[in-house]
Amino acid sequence: MTTQTKPPPPSSSTLNLSMRRFTPAEFLALAEVGILASSDRVELLDGVIIEMAPIGDRHAGTVDIYTEILPSGVDQGTLLRVQGPLALDEHSRLYPDLMLLRRRADYYRSRPPVPEDVLLLIEVSDSSVDYYRNEKLPRYARVGIPEVWLTILPERVIEVHTEPAGGRYTQLRTFRPGDTVSPACFPDIALSVSEILPG
Amino acid sequence: MTTQTKPTPPSSSALNLPVRRFTVAEYYAMAEAGILTEDDRVELLDGVIVEMAPVGSRHVGCVNLYTRWLLRLVEDRAILQVQGSIHLDDDTEPQPDLALLRDRPDFYSSSHAEPSDVLLLIEVADSSVGYDRNEKLPRYAQAGIPEVWITVLPERIIEAHTEPMNGQYTHRHIYVPGDAITPGCFPDIALSVSEILPD
Repeated sequence: MTTQTKPPPPSSSTLNLSMRRFTPAEFLALAEVGILASSDRVELLDGVIIEMAPIGDRHAGTVDIYTEILPSGVDQGTLLRVQGPLALDEHSRLYPDLMLLRRRADYYRSRPPVPEDVLLLIEVSDSSVDYYRNEKLPRYARVGIPEVWLTILPERVIEVHTEPAGGRYTQLRTFRPGDTVSPACFPDIALSVSEILPG
Repeated sequence: MTTQTKPTPPSSSALNLPVRRFTVAEYYAMAEAGILTEDDRVELLDGVIVEMAPVGSRHVGCVNLYTRWLLRLVEDRAILQVQGSIHLDDDTEPQPDLALLRDRPDFYSSSHAEPSDVLLLIEVADSSVGYDRNEKLPRYAQAGIPEVWITVLPERIIEAHTEPMNGQYTHRHIYVPGDAITPGCFPDIALSVSEILPD
């Protein structure tokens, strides 16, 4: 038998544990039975329920600007979905800020949009830009979402990520106030970055 | 506008994300709703539902040996609980392999044991010793569980952790085959380590 005084425990709880993961069906059931409340701003990423940062005024206002100026409607054959679900894969259910979707007569009431339905996906990031860059972009690329705009409020830039290949976007273009930016799906439409990101 | 070819994204996804944590009440609501089932071998640790490693036969055999010897030696002076839950606090409810609990007329059928009910906890670790040492032990100390034995099968040792203070056990004794081990709660009994950890 040996006796010793112990060192302090590790600074604790990186939680490198095998978490019980949830399927999208279980995730929805958690909301249906009231365990997840409507006050929970959460999404499902690789089976893990992630808490999203609260939406600040600047973030919300930017989403509103996009909502006003993005092309959508019957004539364009698209739907604009704002902070609604996307069935990214069989383990994830995400809520991107905005998506331009292929128009469907039922407005995706019978099933959530899947990556093939997405023409353009836009995220607005106030403080959590690393989360978008490191966690979400690679996942969007992996499932082949053709174009992602990362709107970074503190830097007043829009990063346009395109040409997904091998689990990442191979092209990055950065737009600043004064530039105009066009979605690849609507090359004729030019949006003013100054309008999206006013001073 | 600037254009560049992007660097490869980080090797991805240690999931350094704010996970939605659950209370014990929510955890049980999940079981009631059938989202968690009997097939889920899980425990709740700081609000995270953790999957426990499957129990191998060596692990089971060790728990069986402890059960036999503790029942014989302790008799009716305490309740021996095998792989049942301990309610540590509102978001932590682990399932240690064995627990010696204060005798209670209802045999803990009306509510789970709480830290003040626990005389001795025993964990058996096959591959999960890091989890037991780094994740569970500090929480047991924090809750003031007076004594925890971590039985490390690959090393054929029993680590007895005692004197919890400020979220850690301040004393550790290591017992090897040939030693006798005596729990602080019953100084009159002694278990043979060779019996518990045969070759």
